[in-house]
Amino acid sequence: MATIDTQTFLTTADPLEPYYFQHEEQKICGEFVKPITDNYDENYPSVVDRFFTRYYYIKAGAAYQLLYHSNRICLVCLAPSHPAYAEGIESVTFDVGNVDRSQNVVKGKAKKGGMILQADTTLALLKTSAGNTYKIPSCIRGKLVEVNTALIEDPKLLERAAEGAGYFGILLPKIDNCDSIKASLLSQEQYEERIKNDKSEDKPAT
Amino acid sequence: MKNQELIDYLESCGVCRVCQLRYLKARGSEYRDMQKTFQRLDVQVAAEETADNEIPAKKSRLDICTTCLGLFSKDFQQQLIDGILRSDYAKYDSPGIVLAFNLPMVLQLRQLSMWFALQSKFGASVDSNFAPDVPIKEAVKLILHPIVCTQLGKEYDANGLMINIELRHSTEADDVAQLVQLNKAAFPAQAKHQKRIEISRGLLEKQYQPSRLKAELFKKFLPIPPSPVNDSLELQSIQLCGPLVCVAGRYRKLSRELSHTPWVLNGKRIMEDSIEEIIIRNVGSHFSETPEKITFMSSGREDVDVRCLGKGRPFVLEIPNARCGSLTRTQALAMEQAVDATGTVSIHNLQLVPREELTHIKTGEEQKRKYYRALCVLEQPATLEILQKLQISESFDIQQKTPIRVLHRRPLHTRPRTIFGVKARVQRENPRLLVIDVVSQAGTYIKELVHGEFGRTAPSLSSIIGQPMDILALDVVGIDLDWPSDVNNAAAVE
Repeated sequence: MATIDTQTFLTTADPLEPYYFQHEEQKICGEFVKPITDNYDENYPSVVDRFFTRYYYIKAGAAYQLLYHSNRICLVCLAPSHPAYAEGIESVTFDVGNVDRSQNVVKGKAKKGGMILQADTTLALLKTSAGNTYKIPSCIRGKLVEVNTALIEDPKLLERAAEGAGYFGILLPKIDNCDSIKASLLSQEQYEERIKNDKSEDKPAT
Repeated sequence: MKNQELIDYLESCGVCRVCQLRYLKARGSEYRDMQKTFQRLDVQVAAEETADNEIPAKKSRLDICTTCLGLFSKDFQQQLIDGILRSDYAKYDSPGIVLAFNLPMVLQLRQLSMWFALQSKFGASVDSNFAPDVPIKEAVKLILHPIVCTQLGKEYDANGLMINIELRHSTEADDVAQLVQLNKAAFPAQAKHQKRIEISRGLLEKQYQPSRLKAELFKKFLPIPPSPVNDSLELQSIQLCGPLVCVAGRYRKLSRELSHTPWVLNGKRIMEDSIEEIIIRNVGSHFSETPEKITFMSSGREDVDVRCLGKGRPFVLEIPNARCGSLTRTQALAMEQAVDATGTVSIHNLQLVPREELTHIKTGEEQKRKYYRALCVLEQPATLEILQKLQISESFDIQQKTPIRVLHRRPLHTRPRTIFGVKARVQRENPRLLVIDVVSQAGTYIKELVHGEFGRTAPSLSSIIGQPMDILALDVVGIDLDWPSDVNNAAAVE
């Protein structure tokens, strides 16, 4: 419980004073329990860095990012270099023409009933303010587990979302396919290399 | 049919006194003083020869009862008690015992044969659906149980040490072979389906009654009345199974690198030890020689990297076949100290609990409240506004999708969960750090509640303050279950 030291409060008038953390002592196994604040790590990696590996997939000149969880669950996102960001996001739909992917339903541990997608199968359609429509590819072969329906209501979420929160869908590849899938995608390094080359190629043209 | 005629006939068929009483439908205590019971029922029987009078000559074959095959003889009782005493019986401290007999099928066949015999002798006064005797299984309870209990100085207790006694008889194989033939002749339709196990005790009990089977057919395969035998029943084996003992307590966990149960991936251990193993290792051997059979249960569980502090989490060990059913305060304290010596897990309130109380741990899991403390980090130093938003005393509901970290092995669901309260504090030296206390419904994923997991948990603490927030560390600080009761083993020992 934080205690308010009136003296300090009056002199410094620190508005946070009532909210400072104070560790309560407890002895377990004959030792004082270390305060939870000891677990602070200045170089603590982000959620994405802790659990995911970034891979990239290029379709029609636009790059997509795949967040590959250590348990093989994959999130399909836009790569930071995707042109839609510059053009301005207008709308997102999972109704890709012949089928509405937001109607995907999975049952049980095995995610029965999930749509089976191929790497270049369209997962969603993204319209930009510039009038372009991007077919968001599934990026890998796998079963569709979930789509991010929040993007339908609020497509601008893509522009302000933290890394990963702008995912279009969650896919579950087969265990046996994981190695070949990873080999078919660009690694972070390869992706950065590609961006650099693209930029240098752009220069002579302009 | 007069009782006297019945007894005289049974006597002539070589039926022992105890079984004669069975055919008089004697109950419980009536087997204790048999002479008196015979008198009361107005039956004359020759006085029992006492063994003191003369050393009995070599037994004639008529000495073995044709219906119980010696099961109720004094000889057999002695054999049984000797057999029990020769087993590991003394290793068990259970004050209660229960006998479980595995009787050969010949006993049932002989009972049926005698049933037919009585019908042919006394006609319609012997019912075709209800057996004329007290069934041997029941008689065992009425006669042998009290005798064995008295001799061993134990109480009868259905949940006590179970003594499994398997009996055999030399005629079993031949008679059952006959029975299989009889079965084919008597019930050809059903016999076709009985491929693997040709005949079972249950079937024998259900189907084999004079109302469903003709005496003439039975006689073609087996004699009526049952024929005299040369051997009595033999003790095939005695196996002991101790009672189920339950030991409960609360555990606390100090390590962020210790799993709840053994963590094995593709046959390889990820972590050397686990809470379950540490507790069983230090508590189990007192009760059991087979610690691998012990089941560890707790009121929920925490992740590998989460500490469990405060009063700790209730747990219980279910110990089958327990040798020892007692636990003194001194012994409990020694176990608590041994676990504490690991420096990673601590247990207290260790005590024996009745099995019925295990429901406390198993039921109402969703209703329990859990108290957590989370260390969270913001991208910018905390402001007064952020801190104020994170003081929530009213409960609110969240929708939580199955976290991605377990989604590969669990179904996708969106679960409503109630958060009962939130209280945030800021670290003076580093105002980007928040220490947030959360009271939530059991089953809430707290890490996801903090950062929101890409919007899959909504609202989240991060969405409430409208900016990213991550979780660095988590402690369980309380579990809302007042069970097992507080016992201070250390104070009791002093």
